[in-house]
Formats: sequence, C-alpha cells, structure tokens
Amino acid sequence: MAAVYKSLSKKDSKKSATTDDNGIKKNKQRVLVLSSRGVTFRHRHLLNDLASMLPHGRKDAKFDSKSKLYELNSLCELFNCNNCLFFEARKGQDLYLHCSSVPNGPTIKFHVQNLHTMEELHFTGNCLKGSRPILSFDAAFDKQPHLQVIRAQFQRIFGVPQGARKSKPFIDHVMSFSVVDGKIWVRNYQINEEEASKVKPAQDEVDATKDTDLSLIEIGPRFVLTPIYISEGSFGGPLIFSNKSFVTPNQVRSDMRKLKATKHNGRSEQTRERLSKKGDLGLRSNIGHERQPDETDTKRLFA
Amino acid sequence: MVSKGRLKMALAAEKGTDFKKLNQKKKAKEAAKKKAAKVVVEEKPTESEEEEKEEEEEEDDAEGEEDEEMGNGVNLDAIDDSDTSESSIEMEKRLPRKPKKDQKTQAAEAKPNADDDEDDEEEEEEDEEDIPMSDLEDLSDAEKEDLIPHSRLTINNTSALLTSLKRIAIPSDKSVPFATHQTVTSTTLASEAIPDVSDDLQRELGFYTQSLEAVRQARTKLRAEKVPFSRPKDYFAEMLKEDAHMEKIKAKLVEEASNKKAAAEARKQRDLKKFGKQVQVAKLQERQKAKRETLEKIKTLKRKRQETGGAGLGTNEADLFDVGVDNELAKYDSRSGSGRGNMGGRNGGNQKRQKKDEKYGFGGKKRHAKSGDAVSSSDLSGFNPKAMKAKGKVGKSRPGKGRRKAMASR
Repeated sequence: MAAVYKSLSKKDSKKSATTDDNGIKKNKQRVLVLSSRGVTFRHRHLLNDLASMLPHGRKDAKFDSKSKLYELNSLCELFNCNNCLFFEARKGQDLYLHCSSVPNGPTIKFHVQNLHTMEELHFTGNCLKGSRPILSFDAAFDKQPHLQVIRAQFQRIFGVPQGARKSKPFIDHVMSFSVVDGKIWVRNYQINEEEASKVKPAQDEVDATKDTDLSLIEIGPRFVLTPIYISEGSFGGPLIFSNKSFVTPNQVRSDMRKLKATKHNGRSEQTRERLSKKGDLGLRSNIGHERQPDETDTKRLFA
Repeated sequence: MVSKGRLKMALAAEKGTDFKKLNQKKKAKEAAKKKAAKVVVEEKPTESEEEEKEEEEEEDDAEGEEDEEMGNGVNLDAIDDSDTSESSIEMEKRLPRKPKKDQKTQAAEAKPNADDDEDDEEEEEEDEEDIPMSDLEDLSDAEKEDLIPHSRLTINNTSALLTSLKRIAIPSDKSVPFATHQTVTSTTLASEAIPDVSDDLQRELGFYTQSLEAVRQARTKLRAEKVPFSRPKDYFAEMLKEDAHMEKIKAKLVEEASNKKAAAEARKQRDLKKFGKQVQVAKLQERQKAKRETLEKIKTLKRKRQETGGAGLGTNEADLFDVGVDNELAKYDSRSGSGRGNMGGRNGGNQKRQKKDEKYGFGGKKRHAKSGDAVSSSDLSGFNPKAMKAKGKVGKSRPGKGRRKAMASR
C-alpha cells in the first residue's frame, strides 16, 4: 500500500518539480563549492564564508589537480550539482575563481583580489543562515554580452532558488555586484528595518510595515573579481570571451622586479663606463692601452 | 602518447566501432605513405618509416578522441536511461538536465547562422584593433620597429556569448514572479557614481546606494506578491555568523570604544596637567603659608603668656597650653618626616616575614608572570607613534653648545 502511495505521490511531485502550475520551469540549482590544493587560510575562509551563504551549495574536499579541470564535471555529476564554484590557488598567493554551469558550460574564470573574509572584517551585520538574498546588479550588467553571461551565472550560483532545502522564509540580506574599473566588486549587506516614527499612528498593517526605515549593515566578505575569460564548455571548450586588459599577477610582479633592477643596471653601467674611461687614459695598470711615449717626453728629450 | 592511443583504440574496439575506424585508418595510412613518398625522397628509408609512424599515431589520437566523444554521447544516453530508472527512488534531488547531444546539436544549429554574419563583423573589428603576427611577416624591418606587439587578440564572440546566455539564463522578466529570482538590476552605472576607485569612502557609498535602491525595489515587489519579507522578532534560527563570532565582534567594539574613551581621558589629563601644575604650586604655597601663620600665632600667644604669667593659675594654664603646643608641633613633624615608617608599621614588627613574602611570594604561581600572551601582545597602549616621530624634538630640552655657553656667561 505504502509503495503504491509512494509511486503515486512521486508522480505528482515529479510534475510539480519540473513545472509550476503556470507552466513555468522551476528553478533548481545546486552548487559544488571546492578549492584546489595550496590555498592559504584566507582563501579557505572566503570559501567557507561563501559556502555558508549558499544553502543549495555543497562543499567538497580540495581538488588535487590544476590541469585536469574537466574531471570536475564528473565530480559535479556525482554530487548532483549543476553549478560549480572552483577556487584555484596558484603559487600560494594568487586566487582564481572558476564559475561553471556543469553539463554544458559556460565557464567563467575570474582573478580574485582584495579579498577580506567575514572574520577579519569585524562587521556587525548578520543574517539568517540560508536566507535568500536579493541580488543587486549594476546597470553595466545590461550593457555587454559577457557581463550578461556573468550575471546569469551569478544568478544561478549566488541566488538561492525558491524553496531550496535549507533556505529560510525571510529576506534579510542583499548581495551587490558592481562593475567599476573593469572589475566586479562584491559586497554583502544585511537589511536592517527600523520603525521610522513610533508617534505616527498606524492606519493599517500594510502602511505600518511600509513605514519602516531601511538601512544596510555590511556583513562581509568583500572581494573583487576580474573576469579573465569565458569558455563555452564547462571547464573546457573554445574561448568565447577573453579580457584583453587583464594583466596576470605574474606579469605585475616581474615588472616590479625589473623596475627595481633598472636602478642597479644603471649604476653598474656607469661603473663600467668610468673604468673604461680610466683605461683609455692609461690610468689603470693592466687594462686599456699603454700610453704612447710622447715626442716631448722628458725621457726622450734628454736621452 | 602511444599507450594512450592504444588504450583508446582498445576501448573503441570494445564498443564495436572498430570497423569504421579500420576503414579510416587504412585511408590515413595510404595518405601518409603517399605523403612520405612525396616529401622524403632523398632521406633514408628508416626516417621515413619513423615519420610515417608518427603521423599514424597522430591520426590515431585524433580518431581516438573522436571516438571518445562519440562514446561519451552513447554513454550519456545510457546514463540518462539509468537515471530514469533510478528516478523512482529520488527524483526530487535530481536536477532537470538536457542530454548532452541535444545541446550540442542546438549549439551547432545556433552557431553557423549567427556566426557567419557575426564573424565578419568580428574580423572587421579586430582588423581595426589587432592584427595577428603571422600577417605581418612580410613587412619591412623599419615598419616592424614601429609596431607594438600585443600577444593576445581580443576574443569577444558575441553570438556564442548570447547562445550560452540563453542556455543558462534564469527567466527574470515580468512574466515570472519576482520571488523566483530576486534580482534587481539598477538603472544607474556604478562607474559613474564612483569616479575614483581608490577613494574608499566614495566607493563604498556607491555600492551602498546601489544595494539600498535594489532593496527598496525588491521590497515593494515582494510585498505586492505577498512574500514574507521582514523577519518577525520571535523567529530564531541559525545565523550566518554564529554567536562566538558575534561575541568577538562585540569585544572588539567594546575595546575600540574604551580605547577611544581612554584616549580622550588622557588628552584631558594632559591639558589639565599644564594648568594643574600651577594650581598645585599655588595650593602648596597656600598651605605652607597657613601653617606658618598658625605656628606664628601660637608662638606669639605663648610668649604673651610667659610674659604675663606670674600668677599660679596662669602658670598652670601656660603648662597646659605648652603641652598642647608641643603636641601640635610633634604632629607636624611626624606628618612630614615619618612617611616610610608608617608603611612598615601596618604589618606588625615582623620584618623577616615581610621580606620572605616579598622574596618567595605568597600563594600563586610566579613563573611566566612577565611572559606575553595574546592579550598583552595585542595591547598597543604603550605604543606611541609620536614618540617615534618626535626624536628631533626630544633634543630641544638641551639647547645647543653655543647657546649653553651664552647662558652660562650671562
């Protein structure tokens, strides 16, 4: 009997799972959150912060390869996830973030900078764990196609789908993404509601609730994402966008070193020049040409 | 390389696609042989054979990959089938996913018609901006010197971006309720609101206003859809930051506030000190003056008594008065002189005990009392940045040699 009931109810649930009564597809997302080996503690804390904000996310152990990223696809399949948030650390200092929707792409690779975790920021904001955030995007996300793709991807990953398993029924935080200076700045705020004026008599309930003053308190974490490329497949496939203005951190570091080196190079050049000059004048004992005995030399004249 | 290719071959053979492959292989071999014959005429036969082999291997690899892809397609279908059979167990968790083949064909369909016109545009754009290095080889050296080589070409394949956008987009137009996506895209550009990125205050204000506007919009929409928005006061649940974390933040805030207070207090004290010293000196002088006056008065009184005191009653009075005066004088003396004796007096006369307590301690551990811990190392109250900077000013208390000499001669 139970089995029959189960099968019947399953059918029902199957219908409701895929489509709403309006015929709209229900938004179902699951995100696999993991990092590569070699992350520092701050990278790890950032990952933990993000994972705690995603009730539809699943955290997994560190992934042990940086070259075979396509293996993540099968890993996601294994965990039933259709999105992947992969933090890749390089040289124990640079952090890259791959945002991918799994079976068939696209994948967006970001460079993560200016990251500050929730713990080190000491912000007083707080929100329910797993409440659905309001996603606030800058107007720039409407303008260019690659930013549109990025927005869609963020909606899937950071937007908690309605009716997610561990989500809470109230809305008390907002995640903002803004494009400034070619980078995407991410902030997370608590929505703080305060009664504007208690003196004012409340006419009816709706009005009374509307009167509440809105203010925001930052929760953290903070980070800045620089898009590097978008590839068509999930962890693979042809590049469909690459950011020309992105300068790799390695390049930046080497430029700094070179700048430092120029000082030394200039000095050593000067020394060499001075020595050769001295040699030319015959002021050095073993290097340079001997001074030719002159016609008016005393030794010649009074020989 | 070789082993991989063979493995793939073996796999492919197991899947039953080998006959097709064999045909291709034969063709490839023939082609390779022809090529080798054409290209390598004078070279030794062993070399040509090697090349042949290499080419074969390459071909094999390519084929292997193709086969793998095909195999994937087959496998996926199989998986999907198994999923449908499994779905009776847990369907809710399973996410609706299109099979890979469909997607590929879709993409393929979408690509060519869009790509043809788009690519032309792309190329035109690229011509304006970047030219690949391979096209520039026939330039003269003088011209080459003027060029600034860019290693990367711009890739911005709009059509492909849009197709992949279509694939992943969550519907967020007006046809669906707002509560399904909760996404607000602002109307103003953040980059306009923030002219200088390195200006922290302005930048954060820009982000704040953007999200506040989003929240306002979202709230009205959610209210209209009758979705609960604000959390009631009696709803308690697990929070993003757990209590221990909030406790830490609170401690930090308290510390900051107390530090601020202490700094204000210190400043006040410093200000008072300048003024207070004068006050103190004046007070001391006043006290001394009062003392002197009383003593003087007493002395004069005493003298008067002695001069007038012939009668018996008078002497008695004078004696009594004398005692009082002596007491008074002694009191003054003890007040000024015996500060230290008093301190020892409290504990009785056992000086030995006192010394021993001092030396060996009395209860509690004395070890590590001076070693630092987390609190002491985070305590920066002793640090004064001004003291580091004001090194030049310290010398001012001692004037220069010339000035000192001048002062001495004065």
